[in-house]
Formats: sequence, structure tokens, C-alpha cells
Amino acid sequence: MDTVLNYTLITDTMMKIDFGGLDPSAPIKRNTDDWRDEILAAPSFALPTTADFDGFQKAAVQMVKPAKGTTTLAFIFKEGVMVAADSRASMGGYISSQSVKKIIEINPYMLGTMAGGAADCQFWHRNLGIKCRLHELANKRRISVAGASKLLANILYSYRGMGLSVGTMIAGWDEQGPGLYYVDSEGGRLKGTRFSVGSGSPYAYGVLDSGYRFDMSVEEAAELARRAIYHATFRDGASGGVASVYHVGPVGWKKLSGDDVGELHYKYYPVEPNVVEQEMAEVPIA
Amino acid sequence: MSRRYDSRTTIFSPEGRLYQVEYAMEAIGNAGSAIGILSTNGVVLVGEKKVTSKLLQTSASTEKMYKIDDHVACAVAGIMSDANILINTARVQAQRYTYAYQEPMPVEQLVQSLCDTKQGYTQFGGLRPFGVSFLFAGWDKNYGFQLYMSDPSGNYSGWKAAAIGANNQAAQSMLKQDYKDDITRDEAVDLALKVLSKTMDSTSLTSEKLELAEVFVSNGKVKYQVCSPETLSKLLLKSGVTQPAAETS
Amino acid sequence: MESVFGLVGKDFAIVAADTSAVHSILVHKTNEDKIMILDSHKLMGASGETGDRAQFTEYIQKNVALYQFRNGIPLTTAAAANFTRGELATALRKNPYMVNIILAGYDKETGPSLYFIDYIASLHKLDKAAFGYGSYFALSMMDRHYRQDMTVEEAIELVDKCIIEIRSRLVVAPPNFLIKIVDKDGAREYAWRESIKDAPVSAA
Repeated sequence: MDTVLNYTLITDTMMKIDFGGLDPSAPIKRNTDDWRDEILAAPSFALPTTADFDGFQKAAVQMVKPAKGTTTLAFIFKEGVMVAADSRASMGGYISSQSVKKIIEINPYMLGTMAGGAADCQFWHRNLGIKCRLHELANKRRISVAGASKLLANILYSYRGMGLSVGTMIAGWDEQGPGLYYVDSEGGRLKGTRFSVGSGSPYAYGVLDSGYRFDMSVEEAAELARRAIYHATFRDGASGGVASVYHVGPVGWKKLSGDDVGELHYKYYPVEPNVVEQEMAEVPIA
Repeated sequence: MSRRYDSRTTIFSPEGRLYQVEYAMEAIGNAGSAIGILSTNGVVLVGEKKVTSKLLQTSASTEKMYKIDDHVACAVAGIMSDANILINTARVQAQRYTYAYQEPMPVEQLVQSLCDTKQGYTQFGGLRPFGVSFLFAGWDKNYGFQLYMSDPSGNYSGWKAAAIGANNQAAQSMLKQDYKDDITRDEAVDLALKVLSKTMDSTSLTSEKLELAEVFVSNGKVKYQVCSPETLSKLLLKSGVTQPAAETS
Repeated sequence: MESVFGLVGKDFAIVAADTSAVHSILVHKTNEDKIMILDSHKLMGASGETGDRAQFTEYIQKNVALYQFRNGIPLTTAAAANFTRGELATALRKNPYMVNIILAGYDKETGPSLYFIDYIASLHKLDKAAFGYGSYFALSMMDRHYRQDMTVEEAIELVDKCIIEIRSRLVVAPPNFLIKIVDKDGAREYAWRESIKDAPVSAA
């Protein structure tokens, strides 16, 4: 007590891990043959029977992060925010799903996008949805996009270095109008007007940046978003499936379209029936 | 039944009083008094030592004046064992501040942190309040020379001249009468000795019954200086508080 | 890549920083403010991991504000620098913040000052300082052209020299820079140096 200590004024609550989202009533499964230790043992789980535990763990971590290859994008324009994403989930080279919902509906006025770990994204977006609803009940007004994104960023920051993998955009409409934030599991939180996240994002950015105007109509903006996702899925092997497009306006979000990118390809680049392959012909000898 | 509201510190009486705190202040009313005066070029603290027995070995160091940090000192009235605890925490607080910010702790913050400790003992259960009042003298770059008084309740306030301990009310009113805003340090010493000589029970003031400490700035540095018994005797003579010893006259 | 630098002039201090938010090969944003206004007379330029930078500078800002509320007097720049260093040092052996800081401030008694604090919590009081890839260019430019009695105009000219050098010699040079100043009138934004414009943040 008498030693000279460095002490902080605000106790660092931000640095504490927020377990608020974890369900405390969840039962903990145990190995049933450990009946002898049933009473004395602390809650535990069985270790996998493997010689290379580290390798197993690495592989397991890879298994739960299937949504790493992704293209998501969002941008603010005259009429609100346009949000779009592909729907492919891959585990390494294997395509594990072609119908993943990567745009998460947090509440009628706010959307989140999913890149990185699917479970991490889904879990923390649901958790954010709860927190936003509680805020609404306590304060009799909807949470701002700035507030919601900071809530998420603070939670992710409290778990930093513990293996979470989240790259998300929070898009919505609040009292200030349209809002768009990029939030990631490194604790980054950026306010902006145009973002793209995921392995296909460089391709999407190319289309997005060249086609973007603030005063687009909803139809134009939706087409730009769709086109950007399509081009990303064309070049990025880890992206594909369906290009979903959402619009957030003053009355909340609305899903505008969900098109198979294969069909989009033939829509954008129809097969021309009159192109006939030239048969090899004898070249007249001069 | 009469001891219902005074046996615990945490309980108000129906009249809204905290008896334990008031008893603590009572205890200080019997202790040796101390006077502090703020002057233009320093702060003066004078304290009355209660010499209980001729056989008592008075320690070489001061017993009423304590240096808290290079720029703050205090005078104590009340239970010394309680005071020692508080002085120790004050010293630790001052060092913690310099550790965090690499500059001396502002005087008021130091007083405040100590009073927070005192306050805690008037509220949290089962404990007795500290039976101590303090006079703090100090200097900082924000407000220059300062004098603070604190009591067992944890209240503190800034003063130009203040008295604690036995007869503090009499001393306070005399200070009120004689204090001038442009008083110098030497004049302040003189005033403090005069007031103390009138409020003390003993007939004549001697250097072994007194302690005098000053906080002032010299060569751009804050200094805390305790007056030696020899100089104190001379000062007492000069101010006319004591007559020269009988055999010399 | 990241460039944060600052210098002390005659009766002011300047902090300049790039405004790019980068993720591997992607530039997410080119108008990110990395210089926090700590209080009325302090600037905190920070470089390092995005999350740590935002969290740590805000944490310091709130603590400096708390001090002022509690005690009615502001922290001096020196005290704020030492406090910041202390926080980095205590975090260093637990969960270190990857942030480097240039803290500039103006105090009535001591005038302008500038402190260099790196993520391993070493603190130096300097006339000029720089962090990031831009520092290799900014440092030598400032070594060559810096004087202690520089006016605001001269200092801004030097800052511009540094920015031009970074833009022309650094492979991964950031396009935009932000310059902030602190003097007796307080801490404030001074100018932007933009070579590309992000989409206007109208309603956002």
C-alpha cells in the first residue's frame, strides 16, 4: 500500500473483456466417461485424440472461418446507403456454400456486412442487435450508426489478439441521415462514404470508384453495386454465388435484388449466336 | 437508550448530526494548538507542544510539524497516532503524483486527497473518524502560497490565517483582528507568537513549548525551514512575549 | 505509409500527419484525422495500429479532461506527456499499445513544447520529431532547415518541404496530409494538403 504505484484515473473498463454477449446459462458438455471426477472436476471438454495438437488446432480454426474469401461493399449516395455482397463460403479451395447471407439485418434501419469469420460476424452482429434494441428501449430513440459501430468496435477491441476475425461495415439511417462505418477485429473503426471489404474488394473498388457519383438514383446505385460485386466474383475465386443488393433509406432497409452471378455474366455478356468458329482452311500457296 | 446515535459513525441522529465526528472535533479542542498565517512571501506555522513531564525525552525532530513534500508542510492538532497514518498517506500520494506526472502535486489536490481519506472514515461502517485537524502550508505554480485547514469530518478550506486545537476560537478572532493583507513573513511570525502567547494556558512562552516552521521561496526554490530553539528564544524575546530570565535582569 | 511529424517554432508548435487508413495493399480512406486535440492547448499526433491508436488517444484525452474537471486546472504539457508515457509503460508488459505519439502543447509559463513518446514508452522532449516511414525523409529535412526561432510561415514552409519530399521519394507515399498548430490561442486545424479528394462527406 505504501509503495509508489502508477495508478490510472479512469479504470480501464474498455480493456476488460465484455462477456455480455455470451450466454451464461449455456450448459457445458463433459466427457461422460469421466464420471469419477464428475463432482470434483471443473467444467471441461474432451481433448481431441491427435498427436499433432497444434496442427489440429490450426486446422480447426480454419474450419470455423469459412467466410474469409468474400466481396462486400457499401456506399453512401444521394438517396441513402447501398449495401451489396456475394454469397460464397469457402474453406480453403472447397466451396462450402453458395447461399450465405452476408448482409446481416441488425434492425429495420441498420445492416451489417460479413467478412472474415462467419461465426464471429454473425454472433457479434446479433449481439449488437440486442444492444441496439436495449438502447432504443432505454432512451426512447434509435441508436445512431456512429454509436452502434463504436459499440461493436469496443467489443472487438476488448478481444483483440484472441483470434477473432471480423471485417464489417455498419450501414444505416439515423437522425443525422445515412451513416456508414467500417469496423474490424483489430479495433479499427473508420467513418466513410465508400468501402469494400474481403478478398474481392480490390476488384470491387475498381468498378465502384470509376462508376461512383453522389447524385445517382436508387436504380443506378443498385446497378453499380451489383456490377461491382459481379466483377469481383468474376476475378476472385473465393467470391461467387448470388449478388445481393440492399438499400437503406429514411424508412429503413429494403432488399432490392439477389442475382446469380453466373446469370449476371450472361446478362452482361450475352453469347452472340452469329459468331461462328472459323474452320481451318487451306491457305493457298502463293 | 441515550447511546443510540453516537456509537456508530455511519448513523445520523434524528437532528441530522454525526456524533462521532463531533466527538472527534471535541478531542482536538483539548490538544495543543497550532496557528498558520499566510504572508506575502511565505507561510508561517506555529504550534504549541504539550510538555507532559520534565522527564520526557523530547525528540530531536519536530512533533507537530511535518514535511509532506518539498513544497508542502503541515501542522497537526489532535491524536498523534492518527496523524501519523494520515501524514504517511499524504506523503505517498504526493510521491505517486510526481511519479505519474514528473512535477510536484498541487497543494489543494494533496489536501483534497487526504480529506477524501478522512471522509471515508465518517461514512463506512465500524470505524472511528481520525481525531486530527491539520494546517497545510504550501506553494505551487498555479496559486502560489496557500494555507489550508482540515477537520475530522473531511472538510477543508483555504485561509489567510487559521488556528486549530485548544482555544482555536479565541485565536481565530484575534487573528481576524490583527491580520493585514500585505503582511510579511517576519510580521506573520510575530503575530503568530503573540496570538499563541495569549491563547495558551501557560503563563510564559519558552522555546521548548513551541515549534515554528516556515514555507517560503528562496533562489527560485521552495524551502521548508524549522526554527531552532535558540533562534526561537531570540524571536520570543524580540517580540516581547517572554521576559528575559530573572537572573540576568 | 504512415508519416507523423512535428516541430516547435518561436511561440507555437506544429504537428503534421498523413490521413490514410491502410489495410495491406488497400487504402480504405484518405481523410482520416490522426491528430487528436487533447484539450484546449494540446495536440496528440499518433501513428501505429489503427485500433490501438484510436483507443489509446481517446483514453488519454478523456483522462486529461477528467483531471481538469476534478482539479479545476489543466495538466501541463509535460505532465500530460509523463502521464501518457506512464500509461504506455504499464500497458507494455500486459497488452501493449502499438502507438507512437508526438505530443505538442502550449503552456503559459513554459511556452510551446513537443514530446516524443514511442510504443515502448520512452519519452523525449524535442524541438522536432517524426514517426513512420515518412520520418526517414522528414527528419533529415528538419535537421537541415530547422531553426528555433522560426515563424509560423517559415515552419509551414518546412512542413510543406517535408510533405513534398515524402510524396516524391517514398514508394508508398500517402496522398494527403493534415497540419495542426498550437499556440497561445489554442490548438486547432491549420491546413490540409490534399492531392486526391475523397468523396465529399456531406450527410455522412
